[in-house]
Amino acid sequence: MTGAAAGTPTLEVTGLVSGYGRVTILHGIGLAMPAGHNIGLFGPNGHGKTTLLRTISGLLRAGSGKISFLGQDITNRKPREIVALGLIHVAQGNQIFPDLTIQEALRLGAYTPRSRAREAENQERVYRIFPRLKERRRQQIRTLSGGERQMASIGVGLMGDPKALILDEPTLGLAPRIKEELGDAIRGISEAGMPLIVVEQDVEFLMELADQLYMINHGEVAAQIRPGEQIDHEEIMAMYFGTSAAGGPPSRGTL
Amino acid sequence: MNALFEIFISGLFSGSLYAMMAVGLALIWTTIGVFNFGQGIFATLAAYLTWQLVDAAGFELPLFVSIVLALAVMAVIGWLFQLALVRPFIGQPGIVLTVVITTLAAFTILENITLLLWGPRPKQLPPLIPGNAEVLGFGIAAHQLAIIVITPLILLAVWLFLNRTRTGLALRAVSQNEDASLLAGLNVPMMYALAFALSAVLAGLAGVFFGGLKFMSPTMGTEPLVKALVVVIFGGIANLTGPILAAYLIAFFEAAATYFIGFYWTPALLFLVLIVTLMVRPEGLLTGRSRRLT
Amino acid sequence: MTDGAEKRGGRAVLPAWMPLQGRELAAMAAGALLLVLLPLVITDTYTRHLIILVFIYAIVASSWDLSLGYAGIFNFGHLALFAIGLYSYALATKFGGVNGWAAIPLAGLMAMIAAAIVTVPILRLKGIYIILVTFAFSQLVLQLVVSQSDWTGGTLGMTGVPSLKLPGHNFIRDGKIGYYYTALVLLGANILFLRIFVRSPLGLSIVALRDNEEYAVSRGISLARQRLLTMVASAMFTGMAGGLYGAYVRNASIEAFGIGLLTLILSMVLLGGTATIYGSLLAGFVLVFLDEVMIDLGAWRPITIALLIILVMLVYPGGLFGGLRALAGRLMRKERT
Repeated sequence: MTGAAAGTPTLEVTGLVSGYGRVTILHGIGLAMPAGHNIGLFGPNGHGKTTLLRTISGLLRAGSGKISFLGQDITNRKPREIVALGLIHVAQGNQIFPDLTIQEALRLGAYTPRSRAREAENQERVYRIFPRLKERRRQQIRTLSGGERQMASIGVGLMGDPKALILDEPTLGLAPRIKEELGDAIRGISEAGMPLIVVEQDVEFLMELADQLYMINHGEVAAQIRPGEQIDHEEIMAMYFGTSAAGGPPSRGTL
Repeated sequence: MNALFEIFISGLFSGSLYAMMAVGLALIWTTIGVFNFGQGIFATLAAYLTWQLVDAAGFELPLFVSIVLALAVMAVIGWLFQLALVRPFIGQPGIVLTVVITTLAAFTILENITLLLWGPRPKQLPPLIPGNAEVLGFGIAAHQLAIIVITPLILLAVWLFLNRTRTGLALRAVSQNEDASLLAGLNVPMMYALAFALSAVLAGLAGVFFGGLKFMSPTMGTEPLVKALVVVIFGGIANLTGPILAAYLIAFFEAAATYFIGFYWTPALLFLVLIVTLMVRPEGLLTGRSRRLT
Repeated sequence: MTDGAEKRGGRAVLPAWMPLQGRELAAMAAGALLLVLLPLVITDTYTRHLIILVFIYAIVASSWDLSLGYAGIFNFGHLALFAIGLYSYALATKFGGVNGWAAIPLAGLMAMIAAAIVTVPILRLKGIYIILVTFAFSQLVLQLVVSQSDWTGGTLGMTGVPSLKLPGHNFIRDGKIGYYYTALVLLGANILFLRIFVRSPLGLSIVALRDNEEYAVSRGISLARQRLLTMVASAMFTGMAGGLYGAYVRNASIEAFGIGLLTLILSMVLLGGTATIYGSLLAGFVLVFLDEVMIDLGAWRPITIALLIILVMLVYPGGLFGGLRALAGRLMRKERT
């Protein structure tokens, strides 16, 4: 059922224009995720990272442009179709289903027919990656801590039997210790073979996960760090705040 | 003593009907976030459809079959309702008011169609169980008893559906976080349709139950709707247990008030109590602004 | 802020306190003149009857727009205020012997009191609850009226309600001229009132509350007080219109509580576009005549109106007249805040 030839990029976005009502946020953005690699997205808030993810996962309409996943065109398809194809978006914030128990939420995650068939083994996988969730599985999500809710969100995403996982700011607002725990878990998911698209403020965190990074600014790719390129802290700061040293157009203004 | 028993039974009976109507409203509110002013007409239509199938020459089907068929039609009508009157406005900011207006308009249309098709003269459905029964030494219509017993079972079935089935789980999820539901691969429009269909079936049941005991007329839908409104004002609309409890309480209150101070003054008293309650809890009777289906 | 005559672009304009200015004033005057002279052209009493209805319903609709459109209060009990005015007039004149001309303001007062009563529970409620409470209120008032059938005639209503009287002029046999001008004057007063209200600090604060409640409250505007005042203000002319209606048709029936009238008036508000004043009047002409054209259609009448409402909501959520107003806005000065 994969149908994707080896070497087909996992995800490819070209010329994407999208926004909210009359406000255009993405101005023809493009990126490519080569097979077998993770990508990371970073950049100032409100500049299109979440908009980009929501357009990819079908929550937002694209005005123009193309998105393809494993060789298939998913532009403007319904969210549930995209989920069925295996691209799963774990959204920002962790307000998922406050009144469901962890167990119920995980069960819900396995809604599509394909994921339903593998529900038992995926559930085991989630509990193995996040033992805390297993401990608390009968608790309502509302009663969990921020970090646990984030784990639950990712768990629900995994239950969808993804072929690639999008994580939108998974460590946002978390204390350093839980952030590390979560980071280990995410790295484990990646090492087990799951392609990841991760949005994060913490660029160093990103660099441990992905060797290809994109900086999104003003709804466009302002800078790109390709696999194998070395980059240091100062250069990142420069990208954020002033002229770009790593190539690409200078960013237009400060935060 | 006889009077007390009558009040009790009357309260249980009306409470059953109100509960089903109110649960339907709560279902739609929690999952879709709109208020269905057409809820009353589902009761009317179901009653008349059943009557048509049972009574009219050429059909004369057994009561049970007629009811099932009528409810099936109601589910379809419920689905059509949300398709035509709610879906087009999803995402618009003023959707609550818009849907109130469109469903109210649909209520008018269907009520008048009922009038056209069946005429204004009152009709009656055969009772579920004919004759009388005896409970604790008091006489009671068997139909009433049946309703009083069946309704809690129906409500329990609804609860089981929501909490023990995957589809019910999906409905609850949609009511809690629609975006996350979309991202989990749920077919959210189908959930809307389901909520409306289920709601229509519940209201339809209320109508059929009512028609077996009292006279049906094309305008019979307004009163249960208004009562259901009062119920959700008291009991909240954010979950299911609140309205159910409130339904029975208000029905008892109504029955007692009617007995003691008469039919004239009961509505005024009810409203007075409503005002006072809202003054004491001015934020309305919701605990927080969330709407969840628990 | 100047309070005398201002000079703008070299042309003196009217004092700033006058509610109507410039081109709008001219259009209003022209329209008023047209309506005043109309009975000279239209001598057929049936058409005059329809126009009287338009005037009365337009008062109700535009007042409803005050609470619904301008203040954003989802008030679904507005028609009950009309009915309260109607029954107040009927009871006062028939049983209380009150003179018709005094009974009309009395009707307005009763409606205002009722509006105050219904506002108390909704002072701080959220949208959906306001709909529920106000609608329940209107139904409960209906039940009250029906239950006091000794006075109100119950479901049969009241007949023989006295008409307005003037020495030397018989309102009943004058080809409806008397009522025509009375209704027109009331409508004019209503429009004037609405314009003043909407432009007043109170009116502006109401719109501010509607558009951004938190901000307005943080600037010291009291939500409860403004809501109360708006509801009472919207009731005043509505009640009087109800009284006038009672005087005109000389009976009172519970049809005034009915969903049929509700959908008609609501469609006037929607067609006219919310938060406009003249929209209801224009829509009123369209709808009342449309409604009467369909009078032989029996039950199809409310069906058609209701279908029209749904269509309008689907096609033009901003009101059908929203588009026309953009054109009209170049003739009149824009009055939407």
